[in-house]
Amino acid sequence: MRILTCLKQVPERDSRYKLSQDGSRILEEDLVFETNESDLYALEEALRLKERFGGEVAALSLGPDRISKVLRNALAMGADRAIHLKGEAFERGDAWGTARAIAAAVASQELDLVLTGVQSEDMAFAQTGAVLAQMLGWPCATIVMEIAFEAHSGTIQVKRELESNVFERVELPLPAVLTIQSGSHPIRYATLRGIMQAKRKEYRVLTAPDLGLSAETVGEAAAKVTHHRLLAPERKKQTVMIEGGAEEAARTLMDKLVNEIGAI
Amino acid sequence: MAGSIVVLGEHRDGQLKKISWEAIGLARKLSAELGKEVCLALVGSDIAELAREVSGRSGLEVVALANDRCRHYTPEAYCEVLAGYTRTDDPYLLLLGHTYQTMDFAPKLATMLDRGLVPNCVDYRSTDGQLLWVRQVFNGKLNLEVSPKGDPPYLVSLQQGAFPASDEDLNVSPRVEHRQAVVAEGVLRRKLLEVMEAVHTRVDLSQAEIIVAGGRGLGSKEKFQLILDLASALGAGVGASRPVTDGGWLPKEHQIGSSGQTVTPRLYIACGISGAIQHLVGMSNAGCIVAINKDPYAPIFQVADYGIVGDVFQVVPKLIEIAREMRS
Repeated sequence: MRILTCLKQVPERDSRYKLSQDGSRILEEDLVFETNESDLYALEEALRLKERFGGEVAALSLGPDRISKVLRNALAMGADRAIHLKGEAFERGDAWGTARAIAAAVASQELDLVLTGVQSEDMAFAQTGAVLAQMLGWPCATIVMEIAFEAHSGTIQVKRELESNVFERVELPLPAVLTIQSGSHPIRYATLRGIMQAKRKEYRVLTAPDLGLSAETVGEAAAKVTHHRLLAPERKKQTVMIEGGAEEAARTLMDKLVNEIGAI
Repeated sequence: MAGSIVVLGEHRDGQLKKISWEAIGLARKLSAELGKEVCLALVGSDIAELAREVSGRSGLEVVALANDRCRHYTPEAYCEVLAGYTRTDDPYLLLLGHTYQTMDFAPKLATMLDRGLVPNCVDYRSTDGQLLWVRQVFNGKLNLEVSPKGDPPYLVSLQQGAFPASDEDLNVSPRVEHRQAVVAEGVLRRKLLEVMEAVHTRVDLSQAEIIVAGGRGLGSKEKFQLILDLASALGAGVGASRPVTDGGWLPKEHQIGSSGQTVTPRLYIACGISGAIQHLVGMSNAGCIVAINKDPYAPIFQVADYGIVGDVFQVVPKLIEIAREMRS
């Protein structure tokens, strides 16, 4: 099975954000980036499918130089080759602008499956995979928890989350796009051997012209949604912050819960 | 009808979902502000009765888009019906709930219509006749104001619980327009095999007075024992956020949030939980929320009544100690 996994680089979960003067963007200088977690679950599923049914796993990411960390890690985890979509034209896209670029990269390959995570932790649009499928004209299933494949049938069966506590099993012909829910299988770590092997694997950089795309058809120029400004969320409650060391804070909290509000 | 606000109602087992009543509430408000008509569209097969009931209750005109191929949800049939409906009726705004079903079909629908989808909105602002939608980004640490580009129809989905539901029964005579929707067989590629409900959960936290919940910050199954100990010292139920059940530290039945249980205890103590939106929707209506987290910017503090910025491994053992002292 020939599988492409799309991975996004996002700021670390515990990041503290500083905004530009006009509030239009976050300042990246002090941020540390990591791979979006649900995309790693997608890569894990891809590697498992390859281990069971053979084939190849390619890892794709879009962004500036810093995203090579995402792709190097994917290669070290076991992906066979990496595709880095790079260049100003691809930047600041929404799901549409990004999916256009990925669709062009997918069109130039022979693939059976494209896997992505359910959503990114930064923009959380939760639609790049489904938009990509529609652009490719492929069927799609989102929020997938399990994948079953019978080589002779040319179809895959997946279990997906329909809503809280309700699931469905659906069948899709290949090629198809799946977005993978977190928690399907534990994410493997890159081994030292994997890291060494990764250095010899194919790492391809593709720009918009390489894919025959003009700059106005991808990235920010192709976006269907305008970003205006970022701002700190309004507090929904007046939170009483309890200060002091662990012991003091614990005593103050318990005192309030017992004596002030009678919650215990 | 052209230029109107259309709520796309989501239903299961003959009932309109709560999120759709929330969308109706917002649609009414926008209708008053923008001077636009509101109606509700339903997709399904046997939906005549539901359409009458919803119309009578809400006072809205309901467009029932019926087709046998929509008996069970599939993204392809739903999108075919809704794209056809949108092209004929030319609405200004399509409002949806941000549910798993919407996440599955709405990006496809938007792409078919050559539009963007503004998902999971928690608020809006109206400036110069333009609507700016507010969404949570960066794990809930920042809000982002966005607007769809180009001409209507605009597609917007709403976060569950973000807008007040309009579920007062107006008890008026229903106005339903029945339409036979068209779904060509060729578009159906994803086939439904079965729908399964999770085995009835043995851990029912909906009645718990106190819940102690742990998250990613606990770090491992072994260390999660601390949460179990605090719960036992307080006589509380045990809850968890998704990373805990994903990691197998605790069975799935303990998960609280959009994929798990919704709880409203008197007291909710969140330890090492950052407060992703998916978790907050399951617990933000608790009577009193305590958050203990080392990250002072964690979004859990936005909903907490009491917060301690600190290490759970330092604070929680002290809480256990004090709770045990109090008991004896």
